[in-house]
Amino acid sequence: MIRFLLLTFRSSGKSNVSGDELVAKLEKSSNNWAKASLQVLHRVWSEQGALVHAQQEAQAMLSVGQLVDLQWKLGMSVSSDTCRSLNSPYVSLLLKVVEPSGQISQKCLEMTVPQFQNFHKQFKEVAAVMETV
Amino acid sequence: MANAEATKSLSGLLNGISQVVYHNNTEITEELLKNELYPELSQEEFKALHDKMKGLLKSIATADMDHAQLEAFLTAQTRKQGGGGVSAEQAAALSRFWKSQRVRVRESLLSQSRWEPSLRGLSWRVDLQTASSHGDADHSGPVALMELELGRAGQDSEFVCLEFDETKVNQVLKKMADIQESIDRIVHRT
Repeated sequence: MIRFLLLTFRSSGKSNVSGDELVAKLEKSSNNWAKASLQVLHRVWSEQGALVHAQQEAQAMLSVGQLVDLQWKLGMSVSSDTCRSLNSPYVSLLLKVVEPSGQISQKCLEMTVPQFQNFHKQFKEVAAVMETV
Repeated sequence: MANAEATKSLSGLLNGISQVVYHNNTEITEELLKNELYPELSQEEFKALHDKMKGLLKSIATADMDHAQLEAFLTAQTRKQGGGGVSAEQAAALSRFWKSQRVRVRESLLSQSRWEPSLRGLSWRVDLQTASSHGDADHSGPVALMELELGRAGQDSEFVCLEFDETKVNQVLKKMADIQESIDRIVHRT
């Protein structure tokens, strides 16, 4: 029972559902919920839900991942529906990151050539500092 | 005297249109522009002027016209018969506007076409790991902590925090050098 509640609260926090949404979801999944229980859950979540969500967000920010893989692509934006003549090269990076929890996530980012070169420069600075330390 | 006023109003109109179309300024409306710049015109007259200027501006921006293309385009527009053409003053105003705003408008168009998150910020620090509970020598040495701020236009940033040892940093640097090499090859070709 406790494990179920923990799991429910954790996933509700992650998706930032409201008290009403939570109760509706539970009712849909099973007919066995007593009205009184649902009311308690509703009240507890309405009071505490936001706090859980905020804590989870903070935790996500504090967790330090490791880069497992870096894939890159150099492309040229030729044209778009708002500009027929873009003619702009861009660098696209796909980062594969493993969290301390073991979960693997992918982050994709896109940058212009000057932005990439700045990124590259900062990385070189990091390497230089690491050498002297 | 009258000409200076007309020029100012037209510049204002072009700026206003640009703000709405290219810089997502939601505070500027057609009505606002009319009241501020052309109170003496009727609704229909203003709408015609506004739409014509907007159309011309969009044509110029979408083709990212350079100086020569712009002059040719505007000359053709001034030669147009009937109500579809532009006056010499209007052409001059458009030319002035594009010369000063081209870069900004282009940047805005580029960022509109970028749908993946971009790197909004990067901060880092290097720590020296002095001891580890595992006690193995492999893990001593400098460790870099990097916080990448990723975000799409108009959305909140996502912060990704990563840690690297020296080996990893060098691996990434190698890949970045490959990217730079590719960039140099393209630049050379164009």
